[in-house]
Amino acid sequence: MNDAYRLTSDAATQQKVVPLQQRVVRLTLYALLTALVLIYSIPAFGVIITSFKSNGEIARHGLWSAPQQIRFDNYREAWYDGNVKTYTINSFKVTVPATIISILFGVLTGYVLSKLPFRGSQALFIFIVAGMFYPPQIVLIPLFRLFNEIKLYDTLYPMIIVHSAFGLSICTLLMRNFFATVPNALREAAIIDGANELQILLKVMLPLSLPALAVLATLQFTWIWNDFLWPLVFTQSDTKRTIMVGIITMRGQYSVAWGVQGAMSVIASLPTLFIFVFFQRYFIRGLTLGSVKG
Amino acid sequence: MGKSLWLWRIGFLAVPLSVYTVVVVAPLLYSFYYSLTDWNGFSPNYNFVGLDNFQRIFRDPLFSNAIENTVIWMIAAIIIPTGGGLFLALMLHEGVRLANLYKSLFYFPISLSLAVIGQVWIWIYQPRWGLLNVVLREVGLGQYARAWLAKADSALPAVIAAWSWQQIGLAMVIFLAGLTAVPTELTEAAQIDGANRRQSLRYVVIPMLRPASIVVIALAVINSLKSFDVVYVMTKGGPFHSSDTLAMFMYNECFQKYYMGYGSASAVVLFLIALVVVAFYFVWQMRAMETIYE
Repeated sequence: MNDAYRLTSDAATQQKVVPLQQRVVRLTLYALLTALVLIYSIPAFGVIITSFKSNGEIARHGLWSAPQQIRFDNYREAWYDGNVKTYTINSFKVTVPATIISILFGVLTGYVLSKLPFRGSQALFIFIVAGMFYPPQIVLIPLFRLFNEIKLYDTLYPMIIVHSAFGLSICTLLMRNFFATVPNALREAAIIDGANELQILLKVMLPLSLPALAVLATLQFTWIWNDFLWPLVFTQSDTKRTIMVGIITMRGQYSVAWGVQGAMSVIASLPTLFIFVFFQRYFIRGLTLGSVKG
Repeated sequence: MGKSLWLWRIGFLAVPLSVYTVVVVAPLLYSFYYSLTDWNGFSPNYNFVGLDNFQRIFRDPLFSNAIENTVIWMIAAIIIPTGGGLFLALMLHEGVRLANLYKSLFYFPISLSLAVIGQVWIWIYQPRWGLLNVVLREVGLGQYARAWLAKADSALPAVIAAWSWQQIGLAMVIFLAGLTAVPTELTEAAQIDGANRRQSLRYVVIPMLRPASIVVIALAVINSLKSFDVVYVMTKGGPFHSSDTLAMFMYNECFQKYYMGYGSASAVVLFLIALVVVAFYFVWQMRAMETIYE
């Protein structure tokens, strides 16, 4: 992709005389893009600057002025007094296991569907992937009842279970398609060496699948971290809230403390932003693979 | 040999498929079942009422209002992210410098949760300090400043705009992936044949983007059926149900009024709509593939 860009820009510089019209077009393009990016970034930018401002400053200059000095008071208040610390820990307790389990499920199912196919495995594959199109609200009531009856209501387990199950669709899709690109000869060679299927999966397939696992890890972590519906319905007490539901139920107490609200939003977004910044390549690959082939 | 393969298949598939069945598949059947009852969510006893809930729901003005809003949402979801995402993708595909920086700034909202996005956009619409009203007053259009989320005629568009802020980036990513898949030989051949830039865009690039467009549109429709978080955070469906969506209606019936049976009937309707959308999507996708690869 980058090579393609380089080729076109090289070609443009080699033509010594760039026609005036083309230069005007290019300038307009840059101006337009820059203006759009600026407008597009305003909402996020506004929250970040406000999170550093005191209430007095906001009252005097409004939400959208630059902070006079960077102060972390709002963050301190959100983290300790606003329970954001508890919410963040809860979110990690849900997101990390659910991410791992859903990927593990995807690896197992994807391996069978691509390397050990059987009559009806194609139908099973479609059946599993269909879950991606499913508005999850449909099963909200039966699941609410189920978790009530097995006494898991108002714990963190329902979210782990539900995300592991709903994640099976995208994880199976990506892992099956990935394993399909691994030559069968590798598996056959391992069988001749006396390996069984579990050993093949662990020692031959998994070391090759690191990029696919990274794609899934970034995607699943982001979706599960950002989830709002399940914890809203399956938890009740403040100590069991995950971060997204926590900051939304908390905001009533801070309805005039804009700075604290801003700090809460920033803290809640940091883990997924971190993933976005450092693993963007995998994240975007996952988005396009999951959607184009789905 | 064949027998031991079956043992491996069953061993690998047993846990993932059981969890998937219990959490995703069986509750769907339960939703159908509850929709035929008058269950209130707590009582162990309930009556079987046949199709009563469905007869009532199609006469319920709140339900038809929610359907209407969901349809408006879908139409907006098809037009805004598809148009905006395509426009951005085409600009960024022109080989601009810093393309990756621009792209990141346009699609980072995908990594944010809709709960946070709703929270951020509340600030934009805030009557006194909100950016929108501040800007309107600055440019002398103060008479148009209003409490955007508190007025029945602007609440729904305001929520959809916040949601689109995220969805445009998603559409852009998919279109960019589609654009890199357009073979450069094709556009070069068009140029050799004397096509100018606009013609090659119109007759070569855009037709090649059909599969990507279908994915974007399908995602937009499915995501608008799921839209709950951002509505809940910004308006809770208000004022006077003016921004109720199907998912919000269902939540209110089930978890505010505890009409679980009635709410299940709306879940069934939601499922049927999703089913129709997915069926359309598959047929359409198949046709697009045929026209391109024939």
